[in-house]
Amino acid sequence: MAAMKFYCDAERCIECNGCVTACKNVNEVPWGVNRRRVVTIKDGEPGERSLSVACMHCADAPCAAVCPVDCFYTTDDGIVLHDKDICIGCGYCFYACPFGAPQFPSDGAFASRGKMDKCTFCAGGPLEDNSSEEFRKYGSNRIAEGKLPACAEMCATKALLAGDADMVSEIYRKRVVNRAQAALGKGSQLRQRKFGSKVDLEGKVTN
Amino acid sequence: MRMTTTKSSHGHQMLKGMLATVLLVLILPLLPYVFAVNTDAPSPVAGSVPNPGADLWRAVRQRDGVVTGSSQVKGVETGVLISPAGKDWLEFRREKLIPYSAYVFAGVASALLLYFLLHGRIRIKAGRSGVRVPRYSRYERWVHWIMVVVFLTLALTGVILLYGRFVLIPLLGPEGFHVTAQISKWLHDIMGPIFIVSLIVMTFTFFHEALCRCKVDMIWFLRVGGYLGGKHPSSGKINAGQKSWYWAVVLGGIVLIGSGLVMYFPNFQQGREIMQDANLIHGLAAVFVIAFMFIHVYLASVGMEGSLECMTRGDCDENWAKEQHDLWYEEMKQEGRIGVQSEK
Repeated sequence: MAAMKFYCDAERCIECNGCVTACKNVNEVPWGVNRRRVVTIKDGEPGERSLSVACMHCADAPCAAVCPVDCFYTTDDGIVLHDKDICIGCGYCFYACPFGAPQFPSDGAFASRGKMDKCTFCAGGPLEDNSSEEFRKYGSNRIAEGKLPACAEMCATKALLAGDADMVSEIYRKRVVNRAQAALGKGSQLRQRKFGSKVDLEGKVTN
Repeated sequence: MRMTTTKSSHGHQMLKGMLATVLLVLILPLLPYVFAVNTDAPSPVAGSVPNPGADLWRAVRQRDGVVTGSSQVKGVETGVLISPAGKDWLEFRREKLIPYSAYVFAGVASALLLYFLLHGRIRIKAGRSGVRVPRYSRYERWVHWIMVVVFLTLALTGVILLYGRFVLIPLLGPEGFHVTAQISKWLHDIMGPIFIVSLIVMTFTFFHEALCRCKVDMIWFLRVGGYLGGKHPSSGKINAGQKSWYWAVVLGGIVLIGSGLVMYFPNFQQGREIMQDANLIHGLAAVFVIAFMFIHVYLASVGMEGSLECMTRGDCDENWAKEQHDLWYEEMKQEGRIGVQSEK
């Protein structure tokens, strides 16, 4: 049994927001909802890094634990999905999620709330695969077509990895080792400034 | 002699053999390390390879970590990478609020049942006189019963949403409970604003009665209203217990309205942590007021003879007034209103 995961390689992410756009385009997400977003930390400072964040498809998902109507379920691929025909739009999953994945579609007066919306790993919902109703409610079902999520396939620098957790971690592990090997061989730094490095007033890295 | 020497040489050989075996067993597994050290291939030992991803997440996730950045996606808290507070809220709701609120409800209900079984219904000791004393006007009764409908709807739908997953889904199934939960949420959302109006009207309607008459009320509290035996303490139109109920509804209602509005309007740019806190305060206040309501409903119905008719007919029996609200009865007597029926 596979466990689908996203991993964003912050050494490669260039904050192009291509993943955000690809997601919105492929899934036609409700107005006001961004299933994926790129967060830049230390923006404009030495050690700046960007990370693309969406639903992490947790093994023990807080959204599923808190849902008062128990509408979340985990597929055989380890993808956390929810049933909009059961969801009542209370927003408890939005409170519980550390990553801000489930969101209120705010499309009416006073932000009147419909069913919650979240990243589906491009796996649609509980309805018939690639039916028009499934597309309308959850967006496209690329997994049923044998494709990976649009965000990861779109990523120009291949920073955003998606797929089986073992394969994703193997790809990332190889990258880490290769970078270290290259650095050892050439005697160069991986990057001049690691995230978390201190910088003095002249802009020189002090540690 | 000869035998013993042979034996001892045998013993030496055995000892040597055993030592050799032990050494072999200990050293053989270490052999790959010799080759590993000698290989020229750069195979860095785990830990020496810098893993920027792990370093970054450690810096983000651990104490004093940089969890907030900026994002091109504009919205509330879109720059927050991880908000760990949700876990605390979730655990408090699941492990404290849900079970302990159930204990509170069950505890108060069983205490009332025990009181009823031991003490029975509080009767009008002197029997009914047949003479009526006007108690609540038609307007006051309408205010009360509208509040009853609004309050019970909110309490029931709220309780359904709190316990439904654990109590009703096993009975109705997820699809069946979805209907109940969806109706509950809509009713809760609709009744919330009506509750605001209803509470404001009720607060002003009964305000003058609920003001503290400190000496009388202190004595009432010290004697626990005479419910546990002893002489029945004096009281005005409403006693100190009823005043407590009034203030519990008013103050609890204000807390419920405030916390409810925070959750009702997610478009005021409030973050998740404020909404989590609002949700917990809402739950705690609701549990308190609902548990208090059990006592009010008990004493106004099965618990006491002659009390329910005050809110249904609007007037009470003269002897009931003498026994339960003696100071108020004296006032009414002076005003010459004994025997006057309340408007229907």
